[in-house]
Amino acid sequence: MLEQEMYKELADAVVEMDDDLVVELSEKAIEEGMDAFELIDKGLTKGMERAGQLFEEEEYFVPELLMCADSMNAGVDILKPHIKASESTEHHKVLIGVIEGDTHDIGKNLVKLMLETSGFEVIDAGRDVPPQVLVDKAKETGAEIICISTLMTTTMEGMEEVIHILDKENIRDKFKVMVGGGPISKGFADRIGADGYSQNAASAVKLAQELVGIA
Amino acid sequence: MSKDVFSPKERLLRVLNKQEVERQPVICPGGMMNSAIVDIMNKTGHVLPEAHHTPELMSALARDVNEYTGFENFGVPFCMTVEAEVLGSDINFGTLRCEPKIQKEAFDAVSQVEFKPLGSMEKSSRVGSVVQSIYMLSRKYPDIPAIGSITGPLSTAASIVDPMPFLKQLRKDKENAHKVIDYVTDHLLEYAQLMIDNGASVISIADPTATGEILGPKMFEEYAVKYLNKLVDGIHSMGVPAIIHICGKMEAVKPLVAQLHGDALSVDAFVNLKNIKENYNDVTTMGNLSTIMLEQSDTESIRKRAEMLIHDNINILAPACGLSTTTPLENISAFTETVKLQ
Repeated sequence: MLEQEMYKELADAVVEMDDDLVVELSEKAIEEGMDAFELIDKGLTKGMERAGQLFEEEEYFVPELLMCADSMNAGVDILKPHIKASESTEHHKVLIGVIEGDTHDIGKNLVKLMLETSGFEVIDAGRDVPPQVLVDKAKETGAEIICISTLMTTTMEGMEEVIHILDKENIRDKFKVMVGGGPISKGFADRIGADGYSQNAASAVKLAQELVGIA
Repeated sequence: MSKDVFSPKERLLRVLNKQEVERQPVICPGGMMNSAIVDIMNKTGHVLPEAHHTPELMSALARDVNEYTGFENFGVPFCMTVEAEVLGSDINFGTLRCEPKIQKEAFDAVSQVEFKPLGSMEKSSRVGSVVQSIYMLSRKYPDIPAIGSITGPLSTAASIVDPMPFLKQLRKDKENAHKVIDYVTDHLLEYAQLMIDNGASVISIADPTATGEILGPKMFEEYAVKYLNKLVDGIHSMGVPAIIHICGKMEAVKPLVAQLHGDALSVDAFVNLKNIKENYNDVTTMGNLSTIMLEQSDTESIRKRAEMLIHDNINILAPACGLSTTTPLENISAFTETVKLQ
C-alpha cells in the first residue's frame, strides 16, 4: 500500500471509530517500514481533526468523539514505540482542570482529549481543584497554558481567583490562561483578564495553538 | 395579588392539567434547580450542608426559600446526589455555598454495575429525610405544592458509572447500558412513590446528562426519551403530574421533545420557549429566566425579562437552570413579584 493511501485509511478508520481496523493498519504499516511519526501526524491525527470537525457540525456528539479518540489512541499505542528520537518534537504543555466546587468534567475531558490528539502535552489536575493548587501545579510542571473550565455559575469566581494569584505572585506573564465551560462567555473571559475563551473542545485547540504561537 | 383565584397548589396542578388559570405560577422545583441561596441561609440559620440530612432542617429551609423568594412551591431535596448515594457512589456534601457532588462514581463500566435490590431507596436515611420533609410540609401547608425533585435516569446512571466510559458504552455496550439505565429507573420509581405517598403534589425530573448537546438525536431518542417516559408513565400511574427539565441547547433534538410524556417541559435559558410553543402547541412550557441574569443582572432587567416570558405565554415561570448560591435575594424577588403582579 502507498503511504498516502495508508494515511487516508488510518484517518478513515479513526472517523469510523473502528479500533480493530486502526490496530490492523498500524501494524501493517510498521511491517511495511513506513514512518511511525508520519503515520500519526498524517493519518491518525487527520482522522481526529475530521472527527472534531464533525463534532462542530453536530454530525458527531460526545459519545462518537470519545470513541474516535479511543481508536486514535489504539493506533498511537502501536506506533509510538517506533518513532525515531530525532523526530519527536517538543510538545507544548497545558495544565487543565475544573475549578473548585465543580465535579462536572465531561467538557474538560473533551478539551484535554482534543488538545492531546493535536500534539499538546496535557497535565490533568482533575476536577474540583482549588485555584492555588492550579497555579502551583502550573509552576511545578512548567506549563505554558493554564486551561480552566467550569459548568456552574457558582464557581466562576474561582477562575478569576487563579488570575489574581498569578498577579499577586508576579508570574502572570509566564502563563496564558484560557477559560471555557457552560456559563462562561467571551465577555466574562475579558472581564477577568483571561487570555482567551473557547466555546467548545474543537475551538479550544485553535485557541491553544494561537496562544503558543503555532497556529 | 388580591386578584388570585386559585391557591398556589391548585394553580400549578391546573396548569399541568392544561386547565385555565388566572395567571401563571412561578416556581423553583428543587433538586438541581433549587434556590437555597446564601442570602436566605444566613438570615435564618437553617443551613446547608446540615439541611441535606435532617427532615426538620430540610423542611425549615424549604419553607424559608418559599417565604423569602416568593416561589410558589416547596422544592426538595437541595441536590442531585440522593439517588446515586443509595446506588453506591461516594458523595461530597459540599458547604453552605457549594452544592453536594459525586466524589467518586461507584463503577467504571456499565458491565460492572452491581445491582441493588428494590427497596434500597426506602432504607436510605437520606431518602428518609427527603420524604419526611415532604410529609411535614404538605401536611402543614396544604395550599402550597410540595415538589419532589428527582435526578433523571441518564444522569443517575452517569453518577454511578464514570461518565466518560458511560457515554462511550451507550454506543459500545448497548445491552448493559440499557440494563443499567432500566435498573436505575426502577429505583427512581420507588423513590417517586415514596415522595408521592408522603404528600408530593408534583414530581420534577432534571436530567442534565440527557441533553441533545451531549448525546445527539439518535441516542437521545434511544435512551433519554425511552427512560424518561418510563419514569413519567410510572409517576402518572401513581396519579401525579411530572415536569421534565432538559439542559443545554436543543436544536439537535427539538422534534423529539414532543415525544416526551412529561406534563411540562422546562428548558435552559438559550432555548426559545415561544418557538417551542408555536411548533408543538401541546407542550406545556416552563422556564426560563437565565440564572446568569438572576445572579449578575439588576432587578430592572430581570423584571423586563420576566414580563417578556409572561407575554410569550410561557405556562409556568421558573429559573432556566440551577441557581448560583450567591444569587442576590432581591433579584429572585423581582422575578417572582413581576409574575404575581401581572
